Amino acid sequence: MRITNNMLINNMIKYIGNNLTRMDKLQAQLATGKKIQVPSDDPVVAARALKLRTDVAEIQQYQRNLKDAQSWLEITESALSDMGDIFQRVRELIVGSDAIESPEDLQATKNEIIQLRTQLINLGNSAYAGRYIFTGFKTDQKLLDEAGNFLVDVSNSEQIFYQIGLADSVNINVLGGDLFNSGTDITAGSTGKFIQDMNELIQAFDDADYEAIRSMTQNFSDNLDNVLRLRADVGARINRLELTANRMMNDNTNFTRLMSENENVDMTDTIMNLKNEENVYRASLAGGARIIMPSLIDFLR
Amino acid sequence: MAESFFGLNIAVRGLFSAQRSLDITNHNLNNINTPGYSRQQAVQVASRPMALADGTGMMGTGSDVIGVKRIRDEYLDFKFWSENLSYGEWSVKNQVLADLEVMFNEPSDSGFTTIMSDFFDSLQELSKDPSSAAVRSLVKQRGVTLAKFFNNLATNLEELQKDINYRIQTKVEEVNSLAVQIQQLNRQIYITELGGNTANDMRDQRTVLVDRLSKIINIEANEIVTGYTPDGREDKHFVITISGKALVDHFTVSKLALEQRPSDKKVNREDAGNLYEIKWADGNKLNIKGGELRGYLDVRDGNEGSVNPDNGLVSPNYKGIPYYLKKLNEFVRVFARAFNEGYIDLDGDRAFDPDEVGTGHASGYGYNTDKTGIRFFTMTGEGRQPLSTEDFLDGATDPADIFDIYERITAKNFSVSADILDDYNLIATSDASGEAGNIRVLNELLDFRRNADMFSEGAPEDFMKSLVATLGIDSQQADNYSDNQQIVVNQIINRRLSNSGVSIDEEMANLVKFQHAYNAAAKMIQTMSEIYETLINKLFV
Repeated sequence: MRITNNMLINNMIKYIGNNLTRMDKLQAQLATGKKIQVPSDDPVVAARALKLRTDVAEIQQYQRNLKDAQSWLEITESALSDMGDIFQRVRELIVGSDAIESPEDLQATKNEIIQLRTQLINLGNSAYAGRYIFTGFKTDQKLLDEAGNFLVDVSNSEQIFYQIGLADSVNINVLGGDLFNSGTDITAGSTGKFIQDMNELIQAFDDADYEAIRSMTQNFSDNLDNVLRLRADVGARINRLELTANRMMNDNTNFTRLMSENENVDMTDTIMNLKNEENVYRASLAGGARIIMPSLIDFLR
Repeated sequence: MAESFFGLNIAVRGLFSAQRSLDITNHNLNNINTPGYSRQQAVQVASRPMALADGTGMMGTGSDVIGVKRIRDEYLDFKFWSENLSYGEWSVKNQVLADLEVMFNEPSDSGFTTIMSDFFDSLQELSKDPSSAAVRSLVKQRGVTLAKFFNNLATNLEELQKDINYRIQTKVEEVNSLAVQIQQLNRQIYITELGGNTANDMRDQRTVLVDRLSKIINIEANEIVTGYTPDGREDKHFVITISGKALVDHFTVSKLALEQRPSDKKVNREDAGNLYEIKWADGNKLNIKGGELRGYLDVRDGNEGSVNPDNGLVSPNYKGIPYYLKKLNEFVRVFARAFNEGYIDLDGDRAFDPDEVGTGHASGYGYNTDKTGIRFFTMTGEGRQPLSTEDFLDGATDPADIFDIYERITAKNFSVSADILDDYNLIATSDASGEAGNIRVLNELLDFRRNADMFSEGAPEDFMKSLVATLGIDSQQADNYSDNQQIVVNQIINRRLSNSGVSIDEEMANLVKFQHAYNAAAKMIQTMSEIYETLINKLFV
């Protein structure tokens, strides 16, 4: 084949251009740390990248939801635990009341029970981040007034669910009716069983009616059982959340790893490839320079 | 016995021949970098011999240069024109699709996936704290960001379509200008060659023009014999045709013309107004089969060959800008319909079915409000102002009528409704009024993210993923085709250069060769001179 000078020059420009294109790709990969810059670099990687980004973003959101659900349940748990202590103390006071002789001491015990009732009312109005936790959907309203009467209607169906995974949600609230009203729906203005029992007990102390006081023992045992039942339930939910949180953490790690494997460059590989390309580039520059420079002119003297 | 001065004549001829060849070598070296230049060679022959009177034979009379030949393989030109056509088409598609990819901005940390994730994340936060003003405001802003993403993308696509329209205009003007230049060269070449010469350099120039034309549009260029000249040679006319109709026919030119499409002749419903239709200036229809113009038309009008229901016009069978606009419009319509009305097209017939209406934003209650029926997403109306639910529905109450109203939403006018923008407390979470913590409706909305029945491609993010993948694959294909075609074109350019290109070494060798010939002829004159010196001055004095 007849080779002319411009062929040599054109080919050299083309080869060096190809070298530079490949180096540019590698340089972009090193600078961004990503295998692909646009979908056409590798449509399969691009599609997977989009899917994995969605997955990772969702998992991270679920992790935030899990944390919030845990906090909410922990507040509930601590309120329940305090209520348990209250009923425990009330039972002790009932049992101890037999030995009380003086009206002053009886009055002092009564006062303690009144304090405990106030504490119970306050616990019933417990809030998480400004939202009342026992009022079902009416999170912006208090459950109890100062006398311990219900302020809102709360149906036992008002369960709040947080999404904590794909098609996985957890009920985070304990309903006021279930807790304060021995499992029946609440209507505004009525008084729940807990408060009623407290009121009756206070009345009995007022009347110094030892018989009536003693007869309340069973009621408060039932109340304590109710609190413990709900505490166990909340505990089980927290437990489940912890398991889910662990799983989510693993998922997050795995999906992030998958995402990284899918779209991040292997630096070692890429730098080696770049070095390699650089050598090729230098070689083609050197070769090109040697080939296009001389012509017969240089030898005609 | 020879005539006395015959030898001098032969030597002079030798000088002339060598000089002519040196001139041609000079010309070749001068034009080594002239685009399209074909090297030239002197056609040198031994001049007509003389019969010796005494019958002892023929006496040579030296050499003559009878012509200047252009070294050119015209088969390579035809080959170049046909391959360059396809290179032009795919390099245009490659460029435009690369622009599109940049507009879609995926995969990245600011593309659709991120914006959609952010939107749903804000809804998740709302589910945990539906009465929080901060979170409600966040949901509103994220909704606006989502809508603006589509507005910007659609506007960019439309601008790109208009931009391509201008590029089409430029290319058509270039075709016309090239046609006129070729026609002028035709005239010059024809007149020059009437005398029997070959207009080497002008032919080279004409080939360069045809080369440029061949990249823009499908042409066939031929020299057609139309008869015979009075001196018996073939009378050749140079003709360039596009799909059978002559663009340049010897001395005449038929130009191309641009006509703005009226609004009822849009190829796609999504098209911008006043796009150009390319025609012959005499009004005939033009069939463009390849080249940059085909590439531009495909990306400007391409919509998978679908038929515009308004006027029956068929779009090119390529996924161009209208295809992506159509897909974006489909996305916002279906998504808004699902999010607002809870409508999911379960049977995939894209028509309204009463049993496919579910729970959406419209069936919920916001915070501290007993208003219901609020649509989260509507569209912008006059003056680009977002419409309220009332203005958007325009009195429609029947679910089937409401379903149809969503056909008016496009990616460009997609918006968060004025109600939500005015009062974020109207963002619906609850299925009953006055229940701040009730998130039954919100949970339904959250489930739409993973609702695989929403689109035939799957959930919302699957839809966009598949759209981006389609774009990636098409762009990759265009990239590969244009690369391959460039290699083929370069190969032909090299073969042309191999055949017609100037080689410095060769010309230098020729230079020395012809210099020697010249020197030798000059030496002959010197020798002759010495002979005459002897003959005239020494013999008779």
